Amino acid sequence: MIMVLTSEKTVYSAFGMRLTSEIALPELTRSVELTEEIDVEVAIGDLSRVWNEERTIYHSFYAVLDDQVLFYIPDTAIFSIQDGRKVIVSPIAGADEKKIRLYLLGTCMGVLLFQRKTFPLHGSAVVIEGKAYAFIGDSGAGKSTLAAAFLSKGYSLLSDDVIAVTLSDEGVPSVVPAYPQQKLWQESIDQLGMESSGYVPLYERDSKKYAIPVVAKFYTEPVPLGGVFELVKTEDDHWEIEPVEKLKRFPMLLYHTYRNHFISLLHLEQWHFATSASIARHVDMFQLRRPTVGFTAHYLASQILQLVSHKEECTNER
Amino acid sequence: MKDELITTGHIIGQTEDTLVSNMDQDKVMMSIQTGKYYNLGAIGGRIWDIIETPTTVGRLVEVLTLEFDVNQTVCEEQVIIFLNKLLKEQLIVVKEEASVNL
Repeated sequence: MIMVLTSEKTVYSAFGMRLTSEIALPELTRSVELTEEIDVEVAIGDLSRVWNEERTIYHSFYAVLDDQVLFYIPDTAIFSIQDGRKVIVSPIAGADEKKIRLYLLGTCMGVLLFQRKTFPLHGSAVVIEGKAYAFIGDSGAGKSTLAAAFLSKGYSLLSDDVIAVTLSDEGVPSVVPAYPQQKLWQESIDQLGMESSGYVPLYERDSKKYAIPVVAKFYTEPVPLGGVFELVKTEDDHWEIEPVEKLKRFPMLLYHTYRNHFISLLHLEQWHFATSASIARHVDMFQLRRPTVGFTAHYLASQILQLVSHKEECTNER
Repeated sequence: MKDELITTGHIIGQTEDTLVSNMDQDKVMMSIQTGKYYNLGAIGGRIWDIIETPTTVGRLVEVLTLEFDVNQTVCEEQVIIFLNKLLKEQLIVVKEEASVNL
């Protein structure tokens, strides 16, 4: 396979980390400062031996060593994520480079964030009036489409897959920007009145989902987390929105933690629980149930805007 | 041991398979065994902290009456009700006083 090697190491920024990579990662923002310290190094290497040694002891597709997570994607690559500082990619001959990048930007970033004690939520986040709002939910719940509706109204994107939440010393949660790309299904592109011909399919077997670069609509600074909305599809014919009571916030945050099976594999249960408590304590959380049919993202976006701006007013009046 | 049998002489300790965190004034908890979530409240949270080192119910009540404005009889009654609830949820371990070497 032909892997695009960068002539000198390009420095990228994503999820508050500065990365260098031997594999070109065009989805990420290039960092302009070249002198600063590097947080994470992405390199190409041969992991076949260590993988063959470790795989039998553990599960068939991933292994957790002391400070290292190894995982294997058939026909694609073996990945190793070490100590929150280094990712090694060992490509399988004939692998689709786009698919390798999908795992680099997905699972590898998720594991890096766990190792660096940054809380990863699965979903999309946008900036409304200086606060970050996270949309979490199952695949197909409408997270990305809702985020796209906000972007079309002129709001900025923080993430469209992995929402990286950090805590201040006082335990106040903020969202760190991911990278300027949206992932949208063909039907969402149609619903939002966009045109898919200009966009790149995410990878060959998944041609109905497109990568949409949104550099101009991307927010590049960390933003305090203002609220979390869980999107749930219902068979009802109407939508409704309900605050989530405190104790129910914990299982919700656990369920929507990105690649949550790594929590116990990395022995991060107590950290995850304590961080969930900080998020649950500081942030408003809602469940937004919407009908399977007749869902318009623009309508839900306007309802969320009303709720958010109403809350702002209430806070200001106090 | 059977339910509702905790008396002042018993020694109470935490089970290890819980995740615990403070949330505002309350103490919240998850049982790793059952996946259930609990809010122990502020006083319940204080009790949880005290029994980090296994403690007799009598000693526990003594500490609480010093810290909170409550008379001993009422405190003991309430604490035993609370501890029995925790026991039922398998959040604490209870030992007879004599069986523990201090």
